[in-house]
Amino acid sequence: MTDSKVKVLRPTPARKRRRRPRPQPEKPKAKILKALGKFEQSSTWQWGRLLLVWALLTGSALGLGWNLYHLQIVDSPDLVQKARQQQMVYMRPFVPRRPIVDRTGNVLATDRLVYTLYAHPKLFKESKAEMAQKLSQILERQSPEAILKKLNQRSTGIPVAYALREEVADKIVALSADGLELIRQYSRLYPQQELVADTVGYTDLEHHGQAGLEYSQQQRLERNVVTLRLNRAGNGALMPDHMPEGFLNFDDYRLQTSLDLRLQRATRFVLKQKLEEFEAKRGVVIVMDADDGAILALACEPTYNPNQYYKYEIGLFRNWAIADSYEPGSTFKPVNIALALEAGAIQPDTTIEDTGMIKIEQWEIKNHDFDSRGARGQLSLDEVLQYSSNVGMVDIIRRIPRDRYYKALQELNINQRMGIGLPGEAAGQLKSEEQFTSSFVEVATTAFGQGFALTPLKLAQLQATIANGGKLVTPHIVKGLIDAEGNYQWQPELDSPRQVFAPEHAQAVFDMMVNTVNSSSGENARIEGYRVAGKSGTAQKASPTGGYYSDLRISSFVSLLADGDRSYVVMAVVDEPKGNNAFGSVVAAPIVKSVMEALITIEEIPPADS
Amino acid sequence: MFRRSFDKFSYGRAAIAAWQQLDLLLLLTVLGLTGLGGIMIRSTELNQGPDATEWWQHWIVGGVGLAIVMWLSRSRYGLLRQWHWVTYALTNICLIAVIAIGVSANGAQSWINIGSFNVQPSEFAKVGLIITLAALLHSRPASTLTSVFKVLIVALVPWVLVMLQPDLGTGLVFGAITLGMLFWANVNPGWIVLMLSPLVAALLYNLFLPGWFVWAILMGILAWCTLPMRFVGTLGAVSLNVAAGGLAGIVWGLLKPYQKDRLVLFLQPEKDPLGGGYHLIQSRIAIGAGELWGRGLNQGTQTQLNFIPEQHTDFIFSAIGEELGLVGSMAVLVGFWLICLRLVFIAMNANENFGSLLAIGTLSMIAFQAMVNISMTVGLAPITGIPLPWLSYGRSALLTNFIAIGLVESVANHRHKFQFKG
Repeated sequence: MTDSKVKVLRPTPARKRRRRPRPQPEKPKAKILKALGKFEQSSTWQWGRLLLVWALLTGSALGLGWNLYHLQIVDSPDLVQKARQQQMVYMRPFVPRRPIVDRTGNVLATDRLVYTLYAHPKLFKESKAEMAQKLSQILERQSPEAILKKLNQRSTGIPVAYALREEVADKIVALSADGLELIRQYSRLYPQQELVADTVGYTDLEHHGQAGLEYSQQQRLERNVVTLRLNRAGNGALMPDHMPEGFLNFDDYRLQTSLDLRLQRATRFVLKQKLEEFEAKRGVVIVMDADDGAILALACEPTYNPNQYYKYEIGLFRNWAIADSYEPGSTFKPVNIALALEAGAIQPDTTIEDTGMIKIEQWEIKNHDFDSRGARGQLSLDEVLQYSSNVGMVDIIRRIPRDRYYKALQELNINQRMGIGLPGEAAGQLKSEEQFTSSFVEVATTAFGQGFALTPLKLAQLQATIANGGKLVTPHIVKGLIDAEGNYQWQPELDSPRQVFAPEHAQAVFDMMVNTVNSSSGENARIEGYRVAGKSGTAQKASPTGGYYSDLRISSFVSLLADGDRSYVVMAVVDEPKGNNAFGSVVAAPIVKSVMEALITIEEIPPADS
Repeated sequence: MFRRSFDKFSYGRAAIAAWQQLDLLLLLTVLGLTGLGGIMIRSTELNQGPDATEWWQHWIVGGVGLAIVMWLSRSRYGLLRQWHWVTYALTNICLIAVIAIGVSANGAQSWINIGSFNVQPSEFAKVGLIITLAALLHSRPASTLTSVFKVLIVALVPWVLVMLQPDLGTGLVFGAITLGMLFWANVNPGWIVLMLSPLVAALLYNLFLPGWFVWAILMGILAWCTLPMRFVGTLGAVSLNVAAGGLAGIVWGLLKPYQKDRLVLFLQPEKDPLGGGYHLIQSRIAIGAGELWGRGLNQGTQTQLNFIPEQHTDFIFSAIGEELGLVGSMAVLVGFWLICLRLVFIAMNANENFGSLLAIGTLSMIAFQAMVNISMTVGLAPITGIPLPWLSYGRSALLTNFIAIGLVESVANHRHKFQFKG
């Protein structure tokens, strides 16, 4: 390889070129021409050939460069976007919603794993009829014909069955058949069916609360779910980078309510029974711990099964104990007496002249029994309540200055929401101050519980003031988020109880109500051995067009029970009971009594005498 | 071309005296690309498990390649001219062997297992073809039809063998090498146009029928002006073009829709985003996502998340585009352009036709592969399985490219002007 003499076998191209007579003054040209001399051809062609090579090379490079410029500068924002879209997956790991429990830990709502069965008939290895046959044996509720009909819909992606339990899903897996797909998801389960639907509510298919606590406590029921941004590889695999540590660990908190399942069951049972008996349109029972406002039971009838909410009318989803106001009627009278005592307008031993009927401006106000009993004459306050004397109440309230009375009603927050923590709470309605103070008839109707409106729960709150020594407590149903050890991790901030009546005034009214129960009008609510305070109410229903229906009533009864430092309100409101005797003392009192008995058992309240 | 300073510098150094005329710029560019290739191959395989060894294999083969270049460049390439029939025979034997005992991968039977190495003879055949054609054209420039046909027939044998594997990419490279060398060997350019004309006619027949008529007539005129036997030649050229169009029409009609799709998919890769269009779409996204400065080495998300299958071989340029950006891809383009520049200069300054043709053959091979490969990754050409020289992983291809450069460096090193110094 070192032999260097071999190479000069041929004349060099340069020499050839020099022989040519053409003048080539420029140096680069000469160089090129030197190279071109190797083939016997015209120099024009040599030039052209070289130029062509250069043009081709440079053109290609420029062309590619231009394309790269377009791709990487001009189109790049779009392509960067595309890259990001296909590389990133935003994922919300499916964390179950927190359960809802009652005050003793009974589960009211929880998440469970369910499966949706999809069929893709184009992948079947057997005939659709065979598959339908097999599936119907597992899905007992569906006939082979029904399944086959579904399978014939299209070739892929047919939902065959929803919300399959795990054991059913296992059986389907065991078929190991091609073309069946089970999608796993969490579904909200309400083991108590319709028992607590009014307060707990329901969630839709997307797991969003739509009514009740499920709606109002959505934030607390959903565990802190971080949206994960994961990288996706070309083959679809999710890459573990960016994964926050412990993202799959979730807390064990449960949302605890103040409801008592046993009491709730007893409550709903008796309510339903009485509604059927009196063919009433609807009814509600509220059991409240008067000391702190905790709702122990709340049942509206009719109600719905939250597991199958889609089968019910939408109107059932609102809880009318808090969403609808009504004119409370006589059940408001004890509150009025307490107001009068508080205002100093009367004393507990004041007697009232009951004329049976009075005329205010052009309006006639009569006692409900005026036609049969006429004027009752001098009545003690006890008797005013016992006979539920409208005229007596007007006389009592007349003694309070109107503006002071109006202010006192406002102090009770009648026209404000209580903040119970359930959706759709309505505020009560009071007439405006001018209207109220300018016309005495407004005051007079308010004296016996008409002409204004409040929700059943608001009335229960007001009644609680009489049971608990004059404190206005905030009704509530959520106790807090509780962990597995029973410690509260979060509790709602409630307004602290406000003293609206002096304890002795509350006690005085309470005693009057005890006497009412012990009188003949209260026998349906009486419980042997216990000092039950109570008041019935039978209000004419206000017509939306103004005035009152003559035949439509709202019958209600409220009972109070106090034992030492514990006190309770039980209230029943029945809307449109049928029958001539469908008074509060007849329709609602037995409900309240049954519920009160259940409450006494559950709360282990000793008889008053022992 | 005079490098006095270099000569002086190396004057007293016997060790490097044998490489005085070595084209250093060419060699360094090639080595630079090889180094970059290893880095990028490593990047594409970072997330493919710990067993990926291709990147250092690439460098080792590159090192071997460098040794071959150093050895070849001080060897006398002229000897090969006497041995070109042997080279030709060896090339064909290897290509036959691969059909007989080769193993297939990716649908083509292109590899022979020798020990633990998979040798791809069609790569080495490229150099074999260059040497053979250079020797043939050296002794008889392609100025007559006879010599052109002789060259074509000689080139046809390995081409058919390669296409039997089937390896369309290498077949195309053979075509580019043959045409490039014929061109340099003073073939009448009209003949090259005539040679390519049936392809154009076939395309026009399917795309624009009137164009096909016009083209056939134009080719007739061209044949009249350039071919020796005017009547026969013109008739032949026109009928060839007409036939090509008709034949292409028939063949196109015979193709199944998916086969047609594959041929034209690169025009509209979105038609089949998860199938044949996937590679093209993903490669474009990767390069585009690189923007001006790139996402950074080992930081390209498309690359690291393995969105581009077989990225370390034919689609290595997409990794460069994504991770090193426009700057990086331009640098690679400039690198190839520099290589081509040096190859043309060496071709011009070679002692005799054989050396000049070796350089041009190599130029054709490198330029065509780089051009087609990069076009493919940016979505301008269909996927044909042509690797990017020195950057794509592929030991046979890398070695082949180094051998070719070694031959060209030998041509450069043996330029007569400096012989007196040796």
